[in-house]
Amino acid sequence: MADFERLQAAVEAGDRDTAVEITQAGIDEGLDPHAILTPMTDAMAVVGERFSRQEVFVPEMLISARAMKGAVALLEPLLISAGIKPDKTAVLGTIRGDLHDIGKNLVGMMLKGANFEVVDLGTNTTADDYLAAAREHHADLIGCSALLTTTMGGMRDVTAAVAEADDMPDLRVIVGGAPVTLEFATDIGAHGWAPDAASAVHMATAVVEAARGERDADGVIHPEALAASA
Amino acid sequence: MRLQFIVCDMLMLPVEHIEAASPHDLVLTDLSASLHVEPLPLRDRIQEEIDRIEAEDPAADAIILGYGLCGGATAGLLARTKPLVLPRAHDCATIFLGSRERYQQEHESQPGTYWFTEDNVKRGSALKGWLLGDASRSDGVNSTYQEYIEKYGQENADYLMEALGEWQSHYSRGAFLESGLATDDSAREVAREESELRGWRFEAILSDMTLIERLMNGEWDDDFLVVQPGQTLAMSYDDDIVKAVPAEA
Repeated sequence: MADFERLQAAVEAGDRDTAVEITQAGIDEGLDPHAILTPMTDAMAVVGERFSRQEVFVPEMLISARAMKGAVALLEPLLISAGIKPDKTAVLGTIRGDLHDIGKNLVGMMLKGANFEVVDLGTNTTADDYLAAAREHHADLIGCSALLTTTMGGMRDVTAAVAEADDMPDLRVIVGGAPVTLEFATDIGAHGWAPDAASAVHMATAVVEAARGERDADGVIHPEALAASA
Repeated sequence: MRLQFIVCDMLMLPVEHIEAASPHDLVLTDLSASLHVEPLPLRDRIQEEIDRIEAEDPAADAIILGYGLCGGATAGLLARTKPLVLPRAHDCATIFLGSRERYQQEHESQPGTYWFTEDNVKRGSALKGWLLGDASRSDGVNSTYQEYIEKYGQENADYLMEALGEWQSHYSRGAFLESGLATDDSAREVAREESELRGWRFEAILSDMTLIERLMNGEWDDDFLVVQPGQTLAMSYDDDIVKAVPAEA
């Protein structure tokens, strides 16, 4: 029988071969694909928490996400045929003028691990690009990333455009990136801000659930507020 | 005036040149550009020097900083007893280009520019991302690759090098900021080779050192921020780049 503990450990360790092997064994045994997915999302949550505590760093996050991605590729056709699909959609991009995407990519991997559908617009993304993609994919959330203090001001255009988009009243914006502070996020009217990729996942979930009325959260939600409301 | 000057060693070549002709009594403290890898330790290190100077040199009229906002690293610096003065600049590419406006033009026309300077090439910090404040860059240094192989295995190491080095493919220009003060062309040639190796178009741009010159000469107009005692330096999130706010009690 497929060993889910070993599967979770393999994803935590970034051991793609083992993760793929156990996943394939689980499929061959006819196990529920969602049951196979769960230890991997749990593993990403563990890695994310370690990252937030600075016990592991970007390389560990990357290889864990890669291990999970390899295994999930096997599961995807089964998940689709079983009608299991992500119930939240996020449009991600690095802001206009900024070509740095490691942080944004990490957030994307973590969101996928948390069962988000992720539409990645890459780098140098304008407010119009974010909104067009959000409209096309019926997104719940836009995630903007910036590495440079030179470019982060462009996030203001995105929050302003979203505020004016009457056809998408529930669309939310979260922002992040090395120089982006909670103060700035509040100032530009973003709905969420997180200091790192792992907390971005909690933030994204909370912001979307708040927009759907599944929980209370006014204004910008930050990790402390999230912990208090949880 | 007696000015204490805390300066990133990325600026040393022009700074030493300007210092020689300065009408002021300048005391230099240079800090390694490698501190830029992490904004918070850089801030702590600059604050340590500010605190030391305030304690040791009561005669100094002001402390000037050879730094910009530097990815947010200088936000939070506190002036206790002496004014702190710095150029309104995102980073030292602005300082080398002479104005915020010129930096903005360069950035907007070519966002994918990697900046080289004589000092960062000679001090070996080029291609570690200091100028743009990116802590997550890795340029394929062998020791790092070896480390990844040992820790995560060959296949993961290859993937990490690719994922962490991917930013290089988004860049299109390697720009060498030339002060005109170097005694030979070696740094420029290194910058050219490094750019060509990565498929970037190489360009040498003559730098304009008037911003740092005015900082060192005490000509602090609107291009500079003066943080008065009892104030803290903060990001302004607009064209002013930085602002002074009352220090928290």
